[in-house]
Amino acid sequence: MKLGVFSGLHRSYVITDMEIEVSMSVLRTSNVTKRFPGTVALKDVSISFQSGKVNALVGKNGSGKSTLMKVINGAYNDFEGSLYIDDQEFRYQHPKQAFEAGIATVYQEMSLIPGLSVAENILLGRYRKNGPFIDWKATYQDAQDVLDDMGITLPVKEMVAHLSVWQCQVIEIAKAMSANPKVLILDEPTSALAQSETEMLFALIRRLVKKDVIVIYISHRLQELWEIADTCSVLRDGKYVGTIEMEGAKHADLLSLMFGDLQLKERPADVVALDEVVLEVKDFNREPKFMDINFKLYKGEVLGIAGMLGAGRTELLRAIFGADKPDSGAIFIDGEVVTNPSPVLMKNKGIAFVPEDRKQQGLVQILSIKSNLNHSSLDLISNGMFVDAKKETDFCRRQIKDLDINVPGEEFPMTSLSGGNQQKVVVGKWLNIDPKIVIFDEPSRGIDVNAKQQIFQIIWDLSRHGLSSIVVSSELEELLEICNRIIIMKDGRFVDEVNPDDLSVNELYALSMGGN
Amino acid sequence: MEKVQLRDRADRISQISKRYMMEIILIIIVVVLIVTAPGFFTLGNILNIFRNVAITGVISFAMTMVIIGGEIDLSVGSSIALSAVITSTVTGKLAATGRMSMDSAVWIAMLIALLVGACIGLFNGFIRTKYNIPSFIATLAMLNVLYGVAAIISKGFPVTTLPNWYNWIGAGRFFNLIPVPALWLAIAFIFVYIIMNKTTLGREIYAVGGNPEAARLSGINVKFVKIIILMIVQIFAAFSGIILSAQVMSGSSTFGRGYEMEVIAAVIIGGTSLSGGIGKAWGTLIGIIFMGVINNGMTLFGVGDFEKYVVRGLLILGAVMLNTIQLQSLQKVKQ
Repeated sequence: MKLGVFSGLHRSYVITDMEIEVSMSVLRTSNVTKRFPGTVALKDVSISFQSGKVNALVGKNGSGKSTLMKVINGAYNDFEGSLYIDDQEFRYQHPKQAFEAGIATVYQEMSLIPGLSVAENILLGRYRKNGPFIDWKATYQDAQDVLDDMGITLPVKEMVAHLSVWQCQVIEIAKAMSANPKVLILDEPTSALAQSETEMLFALIRRLVKKDVIVIYISHRLQELWEIADTCSVLRDGKYVGTIEMEGAKHADLLSLMFGDLQLKERPADVVALDEVVLEVKDFNREPKFMDINFKLYKGEVLGIAGMLGAGRTELLRAIFGADKPDSGAIFIDGEVVTNPSPVLMKNKGIAFVPEDRKQQGLVQILSIKSNLNHSSLDLISNGMFVDAKKETDFCRRQIKDLDINVPGEEFPMTSLSGGNQQKVVVGKWLNIDPKIVIFDEPSRGIDVNAKQQIFQIIWDLSRHGLSSIVVSSELEELLEICNRIIIMKDGRFVDEVNPDDLSVNELYALSMGGN
Repeated sequence: MEKVQLRDRADRISQISKRYMMEIILIIIVVVLIVTAPGFFTLGNILNIFRNVAITGVISFAMTMVIIGGEIDLSVGSSIALSAVITSTVTGKLAATGRMSMDSAVWIAMLIALLVGACIGLFNGFIRTKYNIPSFIATLAMLNVLYGVAAIISKGFPVTTLPNWYNWIGAGRFFNLIPVPALWLAIAFIFVYIIMNKTTLGREIYAVGGNPEAARLSGINVKFVKIIILMIVQIFAAFSGIILSAQVMSGSSTFGRGYEMEVIAAVIIGGTSLSGGIGKAWGTLIGIIFMGVINNGMTLFGVGDFEKYVVRGLLILGAVMLNTIQLQSLQKVKQ
């Protein structure tokens, strides 16, 4: 396949109020199958994506979305089946080759270099030259042109480190657009954005769509698909299950495509809160992250804190655990005030914290499963100085058995486990100290549905044994499923408190997003 | 069937050879030296190697803990000088008061040297944890400070006020054969081995070096762990200064120049990862012997001091490369 195939694609386009449609192009996958050792990630997938539309691609974790994108953008080249753009077959050996040929991918993780300017990041490695030197004037102009073309105002000479997350996301897209791509793949572009920024991003995407670019939009956030997507293709367990037009589609239609006949489990009846207050937070403040936080947690209760990303939920949890210092406020455990909270002190008071980012904050990836399971309970498996090797093994095995953690061996490093099992190790590490209160920050992030249900079961089991939990999740339907009570947090404040049995997912979303 | 078995075996052999690469290379070098170097394979020479590596080796073991914990201490070279100068100077001053003999004064002097070491470590740890200044920078600065202090105390001259028995610490032999410094080396090895493998502190050091944020959020006192390891390495460095001053029966601010490099080289050659979280006392023992054998071999072949620098430098470079490749391939195997 020569790069020349797309040379005719940088056609001029006309945008008028009437939207004259230039010849529409189609990206088509035909019977694509991708195998990994021991598993088939994509089975016989045939989907087409059209230009002039936002083509959403959804599916639960592990459904094969990322694999399909990597097949298209050249990251994987050993697949069966074929790919076409307007009936021209293509297959690239490398993402760089695909990028040069007009297939640009914007990944979830930012790939910008903070110390360089906006222009340098957009055109990275493709600067205009004047002999051996960089022609800065022309380079800045090129970058400016790209941004102008997108209808974006950004200072091209500004250092990226000084910009907001949203602006960085825009630069990522500008970087992709600078190559005049035929296909633009956006992998969860809103995951780090606040609501208002998401709106701006959508406006930008709608503009791009008019340029005869085939936009493929991957997202976990179902709610936003109705705002941005025109069609939605669904993958389930590596198979293509169908495409629906978003206009007029119902939430339930999409859910049933994604999950098949998924049964949302009812919260068991015996998960109930007792009348005894175990934790009280009074007048907690850490501007501008959270303000005037007051709440009580009861014995056996599963308390949810709902809110959008950036509402201050994580910051609040970290402050309660003593990981960050609040500006003011007090914490009472069993009625006693805690002075100078720190993770060490909170652990000794029986509080456990399952952080949001298990790779960076929850686990020491290079160490063994056994040592990770004991990182919080070192005092309990030793006489204060020497570790009792037998106890250490017992503690490790107890959690592997109780939490049904699937491990190749106790001495294997954490990297050998799947996301769900890693999460169970973080939980197991804390159950080893017999905590009174467990704080969960996004406990189901990045784990499959099965593991998610197992984590919920664990939370309910804790409640049955009189332990209290605080759960934060972006998936509000999850909170409805697992919690006894939900507090709604918005822009750093508690704005409402609801009983999960009294409202629907949509109502909860509406409350959390507020007046947008 | 047979082919599969053969391949399995080949895989296992390649895995084992990767895991024990430094051990294998060391054995090869030793065999080559036995065959080629005159006088290498004599009991006297072998014991000499252990005596010679003891001064940096003792620190290497403690440095292993520091590097596994994700820190580094570049000031140990000048700590050797400072400790040697303090020991000899304090002994001299105490004896000069006439209240005690040099024989007993040196005990107090050694204790003071070790305490000063502990305080330096405490200070390094404080700077590291309180102001979040990388230990690389903080201890590089301390390297100069401590040399200066040692020179000020000794006024730039070797101080020789030490009792005769003191020589035993650095140059004595058990049964007229085994060098006493080899005993200090063995004690340092056992001490670090027990800490790293048998104690909660050891578990905490691995966790803190592997991922300090995860360790902190697991309720491990990260700052405490960092301060402790930086203190231990300084105490060991002070003790190393005592051994050196005992060996040459004087204390001088010129002692220990560039020793931090030798110390760290042995740790890295032993497979400890500079990014923290990975490493073993056993590996450092191999690294120490490795450095000793190479130095000894070069001496036997009459290699000059200048050339030795080149060889040692390249050795460190090679070891870091091997180490990196080895860790990468091990991680692949485990995944």
